[in-house]
Amino acid sequence: MRDFQYLLPQTLEEAVAFKKEHGASAVFMAGATDVVVRMRDNLMTPDYVIDLKAIPGLDEITFSVQDGLRIGALATMNEIAANEAVRANYPTLAKAAGSVGSKQVRNRATCIGNIVNASPLADTATPLYCYDAVVEIAGPGGRRQVPIRDFIRFVRKVDLQDGELVTGIRVPVQKAEGRFYKIARRSQVDLSTVCGTVLKTPEGWRIAMGSVAPTPLRLDKTEALLAGRALDEALINEAAALAATEVSPIDDVRADRQYRLDMVSYIVRDALGKLA
Amino acid sequence: MEYRVKFSVNGEPIELLVPANRTLLSVLREDLALTGTKEGCGAGECGACTVIMDGKPVNACLILAPELNGKRIETVEGLADGDRLSPLQESFIEHMALQCGFCTPGMLMSAEALLRENPHPSREDIACAMSGNLCRCTGYKKIVEAIEAVAAKGVYEK
Repeated sequence: MRDFQYLLPQTLEEAVAFKKEHGASAVFMAGATDVVVRMRDNLMTPDYVIDLKAIPGLDEITFSVQDGLRIGALATMNEIAANEAVRANYPTLAKAAGSVGSKQVRNRATCIGNIVNASPLADTATPLYCYDAVVEIAGPGGRRQVPIRDFIRFVRKVDLQDGELVTGIRVPVQKAEGRFYKIARRSQVDLSTVCGTVLKTPEGWRIAMGSVAPTPLRLDKTEALLAGRALDEALINEAAALAATEVSPIDDVRADRQYRLDMVSYIVRDALGKLA
Repeated sequence: MEYRVKFSVNGEPIELLVPANRTLLSVLREDLALTGTKEGCGAGECGACTVIMDGKPVNACLILAPELNGKRIETVEGLADGDRLSPLQESFIEHMALQCGFCTPGMLMSAEALLRENPHPSREDIACAMSGNLCRCTGYKKIVEAIEAVAAKGVYEK
């Protein structure tokens, strides 16, 4: 691993100032599970690593029936997966957080890191897309909020300007039943070949898929097809087929394109059947 | 640039100057000569370097040395009381839960962390807690049995 300077800001303002000063030669670090591996493989060679873990309050997970859920930037996957409010109100998110890596990785890895890394197959992304989560950003120009589907722009590209960092993610209150799917070769310590979340809400169906396009996706056309209609076998089959037309997977080491298309249809068919 | 870190390993206070680009794993093995903790993949996938940090199992290969300030680290060397092996270590021997032994320190630390948290885990709890530890020799059955047997003795009950 190439040498670098390790910075440990004690406040959010100090973290922002460090990033503003060092720009692209600095990287923020939370759980380190991705940053250390990428530095080790020289996929990332920062001159400065800004560790966020000394900033007070960033590890909080809070929930209220008025404001919904807020996940701080330092909350770990295991803390999210075990949190009673997350389990009760956002079970697909709890399940997704608990499906990342291993117990050891989940004791360090954060949900916010998972989102900021913007991998197309980020496991916590599809539930957050379905719940219309909002990314909270702090930077030199103050604070702003961006819907998650606008925040993730492309593979490893997100809507962050110079000096900005994500302080947390807000998840609106949502009455819903749902299913989270992680299709992988093994149930732990594996990356998703395809992942997806399907939510049944009083306002309609919400469907998001991962690892089938450069970013996680909401399947707007499939949701529109289902809107206000009673499910029957013909409609479920139509939705499953339409879902596969909304994604653009590639062939890679984990699976070929056709397998991923089939899995998208499978997830839609299976979830609609189970939640109908 | 080097960073002064104060932490503890198996209860012993440690103070070191460390560069930023070292990991806890390399500090344990190279600076402290605690070679029980093994490097397998170096990328958080195999669990051979599992240690307990502030009560939780983590991969030592994914922790930067400057992060250690104020941390409480437990390694496989801390399980035995002098020459007396811990009940978990004895159970691994009794059940022949190892062949080459390379994964064993990590297996022991993951199992130790699990049993402290949950003194009577189900087989599913054990499978989940141990799934971040790869073994290429025994096929896991004897490892799971060793953990079940020590749990059944109740030694981890509070």
